[in-house]
Amino acid sequence: MRFLRPTPRRIAVLVAATIGVGAGAAYAASLSVGSWHLWAGSQALTKATCTLGASATTDTYVAQGSPGTSFGTNTTMLVRSNASSQDWSFIRFDLSSCNIPATGGADSATLTLTVTSAPGNSRTITVTPVLSTWSNTLTWTGAQSLSYGAATTTFATGTTTGTKTATVTVDVDNLIKSSTANFGWRLSDGGSGNQTTTFGTSQNGTAANRPQLVINYEK
Amino acid sequence: MRHLTKALAFSLAVAAAFAACAAAATLAVGSSKLSAGNATVSACTSSLSATRNVSNAGNVTQVNVAGIPTACSGETLSVTLVGAGNAALGSASATVGSCGTTCSATLTGFGTVSAASVNGYSFGLTGA
Repeated sequence: MRFLRPTPRRIAVLVAATIGVGAGAAYAASLSVGSWHLWAGSQALTKATCTLGASATTDTYVAQGSPGTSFGTNTTMLVRSNASSQDWSFIRFDLSSCNIPATGGADSATLTLTVTSAPGNSRTITVTPVLSTWSNTLTWTGAQSLSYGAATTTFATGTTTGTKTATVTVDVDNLIKSSTANFGWRLSDGGSGNQTTTFGTSQNGTAANRPQLVINYEK
Repeated sequence: MRHLTKALAFSLAVAAAFAACAAAATLAVGSSKLSAGNATVSACTSSLSATRNVSNAGNVTQVNVAGIPTACSGETLSVTLVGAGNAALGSASATVGSCGTTCSATLTGFGTVSAASVNGYSFGLTGA
């Protein structure tokens, strides 16, 4: 029992140890409460579909063989692969009637074209975003000075007439977010040979042959 | 022994007093975690909104959150893509960096989530 004998030194050590343990617990708890921020919230999205037809379409084609001629009033537009006599088609849609805010976005976007005269062999049409302005008076010469982005997608023409679709979601999503840069697409055939694919334009006499852009979007 | 008895009594009294403080502090921590708007847990913003980019296949590639108050700089922003029935379709988090007038954050890594299936975003901001 000698070790229990109270001495001033033992009493001081015991009191100090007790105070230290208690104070440590209280300090750690108050630090963790006061030092954190916390916030949680949510944002709901509205889904809708916008279909753009002839009235919102500008389209034309240009011909290397007629570099100064515009074909903006034609009822068809051509895409030809001939390396020395290519034809390119151009198409764009005015998205303003869809009233999609710049904070929205495309969930999917599908460009539908109608082949009114099919090539003998199925062709791969390359869809390339145009990055500078053009009108339906565009010529081959004028098309050479336009700026183009990286090709978005391709689609096969097949060898029969009828509708063909191209997925252009990422381009339309970009157009929604930057409505001042809507210059549409160029359709070209970089394959070999001399094959021509003919598409109906927005001025085609048959409504079903006119281009269409369907946008499923959120806002 | 009388000195020892007094010393022990004093020590126990001091220990009890601090134990009471510690217990109160622990209780305060627990109730703050469970309560919205507790005075000891503050928020650096009251709302956020996001936009997202998609691939041509229509999958979400990134979520952009702009207009974050500068008070949130350095905090961790978590975004969950919410689908039908409030199902969590994918989540990602990022640290809100230093910024000027307002902050922004770009989050990637949500996995393969169709944008068409996303009905909303859920946000969380935590930090010191």
